[in-house]
Amino acid sequence: MLDALHYTGYVLTSFGVLFLLLGALGILRMPDVYNRMQAGTKATTLGAVGTIMGVGLINPEWFLKTLIISLFILLSNPISSHALARGSYRIGIKMWQKKDIDAYKKAVQESEEKEEAA
Amino acid sequence: MRKAIAVLFLGFIGYYLLSTFLLVPFGVVRVLEGVGLKYLQDGLQQTGAANLVTSIVVNYRGFDTLGEVTVLFLAATGMGALLYSKRPTERARQNASVIVKTGARILFPLIIILGAYVFIHGHLTPGGGFQGGAIIASGFLLMFMSYRTYHVNHVILSRVESSAGSVFVIIGLLGLAYGSSFLANILPLGTANTLFSAGVIPLIYVAVGFKVGAELTALLDTMLQTVK
Repeated sequence: MLDALHYTGYVLTSFGVLFLLLGALGILRMPDVYNRMQAGTKATTLGAVGTIMGVGLINPEWFLKTLIISLFILLSNPISSHALARGSYRIGIKMWQKKDIDAYKKAVQESEEKEEAA
Repeated sequence: MRKAIAVLFLGFIGYYLLSTFLLVPFGVVRVLEGVGLKYLQDGLQQTGAANLVTSIVVNYRGFDTLGEVTVLFLAATGMGALLYSKRPTERARQNASVIVKTGARILFPLIIILGAYVFIHGHLTPGGGFQGGAIIASGFLLMFMSYRTYHVNHVILSRVESSAGSVFVIIGLLGLAYGSSFLANILPLGTANTLFSAGVIPLIYVAVGFKVGAELTALLDTMLQTVK
């Protein structure tokens, strides 16, 4: 039983480390701010949660603490990246290849129209 | 001519710097001799604090910490005096999005609890009054950033700040009255590694935590009022 927990922990930790590596590669490789933000936050959130929970499984005494830390990361990391992305969009940082796909602009226009109507 | 003087000057400074640093032996472990060893051996018995850094900061060098707290207080006061304006500029920043607002509301109490934990356990785990206060102030910064209309009451903050500072000095004076010297320990040391141990160290660190937290929060609010 304990061995199974151990091995699951190691697998989870390796999984997390792989995602952290992919996130780092993405930050180096991706072409613009928004793409880099994807790599820098989505991949590293999964990576950090994976490694931390893996450590919690390897050492079950720490499980509760690692759970709390993971919850904190799950709450704070996406929110901060969202705020960063929104801020960089609003100060007008250009996208890499601006095709006609700008869903956020459309959403903003719609919500503003709604506010004006209300 | 000027370049020659500059080179000469640099060479002069370099020579004396080098000769000073050459006096310091390189790669020799110097922790286990002199005063460092003394602290390591006797720190726990003398102060009762499991965190040796805290025992040095608050007990052996307690007077120095009182000076640091005073410096921080003076810096905050000076900043407030420089940035004071009768009509605070209305913040024209955009509102944060709903996601950030909701997240900030959830995270704010957790950050405050973490800050309180860090300064209450200053004598057991890494951290202490200054770090805990800074964490609390960062929690308030999160609220300032997310809610444009979030305001703090400066009167309450300055009351907290001054009473916490007074508690520090009063504990020091009690040490002078009932103990051997200013800031001397007058409470029982208790068993090491438990929350109620180390005599007056936790009391002082709680006071420092409140003081630093209130000071930095007031400072952040004052600074934000000058930003459009």
